[in-house]
Amino acid sequence: MHTWGKFADKSVTDLCRVAVNRALGDAGIGWRDVDAVAAASSRFSGGKGWGLNGNDVVEDMGSTGIPVYNMSAGCAAGGNAFNVGYSLVAGGMHDVVLVVGGEKMPKGFIQTSGVDEDSDPEFLRQRCVGMPGPSFWALLCRQRMAEMGTTEEQLAKVAVKAHEVGRHNENARFRQQFSVEEVLASNLVSDPLHLYEICPVSDGAAAAVICSAEKARQLGGTMPWVAGSAVATARFDDGLPRGLAGTVPAGKAHHSEAAIAVAGALEQAGASPGDLDLVELQDNTVYYELAFPEEWGLCEPGESERLLEAGETLPTGKMPLNPSGGFLCFGEATTAMGVFQVCELTWQLRQEAGPRQVPGATLALAQTLGLGGNASALVLKR
Amino acid sequence: MSTARVPVMEGLFSDESGEARLLGSRCSTCNTPYFPRSDRCHNPECDVSQVQDDSFGPRGTLWSYSVQNYPPPPPARYDEPFEPYALCVVDLDDGLRVVGRMAADDAGLEVGSKVELALGPICHEDDGTEVISWMFRSV
Repeated sequence: MHTWGKFADKSVTDLCRVAVNRALGDAGIGWRDVDAVAAASSRFSGGKGWGLNGNDVVEDMGSTGIPVYNMSAGCAAGGNAFNVGYSLVAGGMHDVVLVVGGEKMPKGFIQTSGVDEDSDPEFLRQRCVGMPGPSFWALLCRQRMAEMGTTEEQLAKVAVKAHEVGRHNENARFRQQFSVEEVLASNLVSDPLHLYEICPVSDGAAAAVICSAEKARQLGGTMPWVAGSAVATARFDDGLPRGLAGTVPAGKAHHSEAAIAVAGALEQAGASPGDLDLVELQDNTVYYELAFPEEWGLCEPGESERLLEAGETLPTGKMPLNPSGGFLCFGEATTAMGVFQVCELTWQLRQEAGPRQVPGATLALAQTLGLGGNASALVLKR
Repeated sequence: MSTARVPVMEGLFSDESGEARLLGSRCSTCNTPYFPRSDRCHNPECDVSQVQDDSFGPRGTLWSYSVQNYPPPPPARYDEPFEPYALCVVDLDDGLRVVGRMAADDAGLEVGSKVELALGPICHEDDGTEVISWMFRSV
């Protein structure tokens, strides 16, 4: 993994090269041992303008003629690339697959509409209503506040917790600590969300090597196993205010794509939510650290705030969330995030995470969410 | 003299009947509402897509709201200097969960409160013409 930050003098391929070489070195293999590449297609950088980022990496490392799969799934692309890489190995097609994601982000908030036409619901939301990306999170968050009684202080405490653990992560971009007062004093971006409660954008790259059991035994070392890997898209009737309108749902509105992916990965792993020692989830905003654990059955609805305030979401708690510091401390390098999570899970399961280590972690979940109703989830075990 | 008005986009809303309406469709097989118009039903449980024009509004309940505190990037439109505005999600009595703005003069923002569809300006053209979109007002 390359550290996350802003790197004006480096290309996305430069960032990926660092991440790939570290992953190969960690696995104890060379570039010529890689049988295939599953890459997240960048939304914003490299890829010849066509999202062909895997091809950029192969050309840079040396064109050996191996197959390259470039995966597009918005911000879930890193997770989707992992799923494809895993499927190729698990299905016996290849012994060694490199998964890679890298991104150099443009300044400012992520533009959620890539086209300037009436047929795109994201374009209509922005043109007719004036709803940029973060307002979607703000609306979900305000709804939770009304339903669960979540306070502004509790929202701020999620950000405080993130930086309390993220400050120990040498790969994180934002390592300063904040108080609840400082978080609440930061600019109100989309009421009720403040600047420090929303993840910024960053440059970064991450890579991972997936290999067959036989190859793993040959190579030796401490390697986590892929216990489950799943990809999903949103259900028609989940009630989230996507596009201009949907149907009023019978039940509670939720991110169905994430819930389906998480349930799928857990089922493959033969595990229940309570078996997980830690979770890396996509915290684009503090809201998700409260909503997702409930939507996935990690805790009861309405329980998240109490667990947060009792310190249970810290690495030493009962339900550790984002021990890496998460998106809030890294900033989102969109399509690289799913692979960055794989690195964190691996270090945690090897007990190599230092001051942010979840003690004795043996089973861990990671999840991404992407534009277009995309999601991925994976479970690694020691 | 009345101010000139132009819709932010054609075909999404009307107040010809004297009442603001959102212009969409509904599938007569499964009753799913669509806004904007859809040429087919996307409900995976629905076997026979029979979509007809329908219109929605005006009564509903505020599901959530937010205040847009910074100037949004294009393609959003607003008057200079930028003034924060309220965004909302409303559950219309018709069964549609729809996004919109709250009317600028509406101070009452409370989840669960009753609201009504209205049309109003989101910005102005250089010549003073009002650019109209749909919005909601407390009742």
